[in-house]
Amino acid sequence: MTARTSPFRRFGRVLLYVTMIVAAAGIMLPFAWMVISSLKLNNQVFTAPVQWIPDPVQWSNYIDIWVKADMVTWVRNTLVVSVAVTFLQVLTGSFAAYGFAKMRFPGRDVLFLLYIGTIAVPWQSYMIPQFQMLSSWGLNNTLWAIMLLQAFGAFGVFLMKQYYESIPDSLSEAARIDGLSEYGIWWRIIIPLSVPALASLTIITFVQTWNDYLGPLIYLRERPLWTIQLGLQSFIGEYNAEHALIMTGSVLSVLPIALIFLLGQRYFVQGIATTGVKG
Amino acid sequence: MNRKIMSAFGVAAAASLALTGCGGESEPEAPEGPVTISLAGWDFASTPEFQTLADAYEEANPDVTVELKEYPAGDDYDTALTADLSAGAAPDVFIVKNLKNYVTFQEGGTLLDISDVAAELDPETGGLEPMAVDGATYAVPYRQDSWLLYYNKELFEKAGVDLPDGSWTWDDYAAAAEELTEGVDEKSVTGTYLHSWQSTVQGFALAQTEGAALDGGDFSFLAPYYERELALQDAGAQPSYATVTTNELTYQAQFGTQKAAMMPMGSWYIGTLVAEQESGAADTFEWGIAPIPQLDESTTGTENTPVTFGDPTTMGINAGIDESKVETAKDFLSFAAGPEGAAALAGIGITPALIDDTVADAIFSLEGVPQDELSRFSYTTHETLPENPVGQNTAAIQTILGEMHSAVMSESTPVDEAITEAEERVANEVG
Amino acid sequence: MTTPVVGNQRTLGFSQPEPSRPLRKPRTSLKVRNALIGWTFILPNFLGFAVLTLTPVITLFYMSLTNWNIFGTAEWVGLENFARLVGDKSFHIALGNTLYYAALHIPITIIVSLALALLLNQKLRGAAFFRTVAFFPYITSIVAVAVVWNMLFSPEFGPINQFLGMFVGGDLPGWTVSKDWAMPAVIIVGTWKDMGYYMLLFLAGLQTVPTELHEAARIDGAGAWQRFWNVTLPCLRPTMFFVTVMVTIQSLKVFDLILVMTDGGPGQATLVLSQYIYQKGFEQFQFGYASAIAVVLFLICILVTVVQFLYNKRRDA
Repeated sequence: MTARTSPFRRFGRVLLYVTMIVAAAGIMLPFAWMVISSLKLNNQVFTAPVQWIPDPVQWSNYIDIWVKADMVTWVRNTLVVSVAVTFLQVLTGSFAAYGFAKMRFPGRDVLFLLYIGTIAVPWQSYMIPQFQMLSSWGLNNTLWAIMLLQAFGAFGVFLMKQYYESIPDSLSEAARIDGLSEYGIWWRIIIPLSVPALASLTIITFVQTWNDYLGPLIYLRERPLWTIQLGLQSFIGEYNAEHALIMTGSVLSVLPIALIFLLGQRYFVQGIATTGVKG
Repeated sequence: MNRKIMSAFGVAAAASLALTGCGGESEPEAPEGPVTISLAGWDFASTPEFQTLADAYEEANPDVTVELKEYPAGDDYDTALTADLSAGAAPDVFIVKNLKNYVTFQEGGTLLDISDVAAELDPETGGLEPMAVDGATYAVPYRQDSWLLYYNKELFEKAGVDLPDGSWTWDDYAAAAEELTEGVDEKSVTGTYLHSWQSTVQGFALAQTEGAALDGGDFSFLAPYYERELALQDAGAQPSYATVTTNELTYQAQFGTQKAAMMPMGSWYIGTLVAEQESGAADTFEWGIAPIPQLDESTTGTENTPVTFGDPTTMGINAGIDESKVETAKDFLSFAAGPEGAAALAGIGITPALIDDTVADAIFSLEGVPQDELSRFSYTTHETLPENPVGQNTAAIQTILGEMHSAVMSESTPVDEAITEAEERVANEVG
Repeated sequence: MTTPVVGNQRTLGFSQPEPSRPLRKPRTSLKVRNALIGWTFILPNFLGFAVLTLTPVITLFYMSLTNWNIFGTAEWVGLENFARLVGDKSFHIALGNTLYYAALHIPITIIVSLALALLLNQKLRGAAFFRTVAFFPYITSIVAVAVVWNMLFSPEFGPINQFLGMFVGGDLPGWTVSKDWAMPAVIIVGTWKDMGYYMLLFLAGLQTVPTELHEAARIDGAGAWQRFWNVTLPCLRPTMFFVTVMVTIQSLKVFDLILVMTDGGPGQATLVLSQYIYQKGFEQFQFGYASAIAVVLFLICILVTVVQFLYNKRRDA
């Protein structure tokens, strides 16, 4: 910051930070409630008025969820699915986006609208035909189904295409003159310049797959295949529900994502200027 | 539902059962060699009823293996089962959990005609008669919960209010709720608790009002029931609907941790409460069961049969089942819905569709179940009418009534206006 | 391959997704070549997309012309389902509610998330922490989100009304249990939940804004507002298009949040199209009719998107 620090400016800064910290606390409130509830007895979770301090503190919930429930299996399945989907989505999406953004051929725009069009159809309205199709291939009750469901969505293509369009063409033109093929340009020029978009797509795809409930609900029956969300839902029984354990599981399921996000910070804000590409 | 119509319907159904019974007199032969049938259920960790039935059946039929297939609990069961049925991936035997879906399943050709199984069952089996569609039966009830009034004896004593004696009408209940609230005089304790479900008001109104019908197009029978509940929540004698929904209160916690002195709830809660008192999730206190309050005095008192509601949980056979397994599956259904299945279920505190003395003895011999006369009377004696009478339009009408319920109970719409609106919507959208 | 670099450069050193325009080579063969290369890029994704998404979606369009209860065979009824929609009051209510939600949620979310992205793109101390915080609502389980917000909104015991009660006398809003206030409550929570997600997308877009341009504008004496308006926003146009389309479609499709917060209530005060589709399909087994509603929702989304697409193209040209 080159600005001089006048008292007025300094006051503004302090005010900004105070506002941001208050806002941050407000935003984190539901998460705080999750943590608090995860330390309660089951029948204390929902009360009117809200009880903000657990009494007694039930640390045992954090042991029970690993010992009594199959949390290990659920985490493993969720991880397998999320990593596979993210990998496929980011790879094929960023590849296809180059075709849409940087190549011109007949029917391109129509095809692209077709992609966006499918985003506009609510999944729950076509999940049954899709389920019938995948079941006829024998893929129901397998993790493959969940991977296939989400890996080729239109979202990744759309996101990457729009990002590519803000990368100056002058860079790829120069490379073209140097004799690089289109594939080479994609890999050597465009991909390194798209780190923030790739990082966003990665985290968003990962979170969506990680938190997905309806997909696994429709496809997965057997306990060894359950994902975290499905497993946590199973704490809600027919006549009673383990609300405290659900919150424990939810806290545990959010933490890895928050950690990845926090550690991956520099990739989200890696500007074109800072990547040091000189054409 | 009109009980005259009901009984007339019952006679017709019984006659048709008798007719079909003539055709299927011979006992189905048990097929030779080991057979495996699959059974859909939910929530295996905490609801052992499916395992219990499977074990009991396997013990009686060593050649048969009943393979359990786990589905999610709650409404998700229907979503997942629907998907599996549509793709031909559903198990051989499955539970028709919500009665309102029965007709759709049947019309969709997913259920095998099992009139012969139904004909062999005890006609006393709760909820069996109304399962007949055009003379044929496609699913049989194996458990049937009925709604009862739970009360906390200690809170009653503390407030100095007389315990329920089986003579209550809803007005007595409302008066007691207000007295209890005042008498206990603690900020977080109310006289009664009404859960947010539409059935807690509509189920009783439909069952207890003479001439009331779901598909009759006239919902005025709901009005007195709603007026009473609104008065109770305005008086602070029960948590308001707004509080129940926004704070997501659970009925287990409200009654189990003594925040409500009374609560209308289904008979499944007996097992839950006993288990929760044992595990410490619920407080330890003395409680009892009374018949659900009645509309008027014609059905109150232990010399009469109180009218309540409750849907049977039924079991049917997948129409796509392998031919060679049909007999075994039918035999399993006869077992599950018959006295042996009933005894097995009662042994784990679940109310079977067929309640006889053996069942009552089994339930009341469980540790922690109240032993007083009235509790036993309430459990064994009731006329239970369905919340979702079997019918073509039941599901659509219930959606409309569900929306009406939230509009009225949140006090967004006055009762009469909401009823008129619901009647118009049924006329406009259903059929 | 040599391509002359002429006529493509625009101010700011940015060019739009113009293809290389050949001057000497025969047009047709290059066109074919370009098309082939373009397709090889698209193909791996398109194969999966066509089979797994497009096919079921086309099936859905077919189902909208049938009477289908999901189990039996579908019976062709032509446009009957669509004719029924015209007179279906609940559909009209759901459509109205959906547009109400979208009309407020779209602009508010765009403004809030863009402001957040601009703020957290600066070299602030703790920016990484605050970015993570802003993203938290998006990753927190939706059930927990609904539970907490419902408690905050609770008319009797909720902190929001207790706070409001200190300033305003008389009747306080009933929020999620009031016909008039349920939708504003849901919009508030929807914006709160989505802002971190769109902030992230804007943040990525902001990285493409060259810092030299800002410096140059600053030297020219442009104020912060002018720099935002004349430098940041034009550079952000592709991202803006993306975010606008996504927010629009996702607002029109809103489902989960309303399901867990109000379940469409009280009455039909927050019933939206996606939920109506689910109700008709999975609760009442009218899958043909549900498909027809989905098609209408699709057409609305597509109409808005095409308008945005054409507008964006015109601005590019």
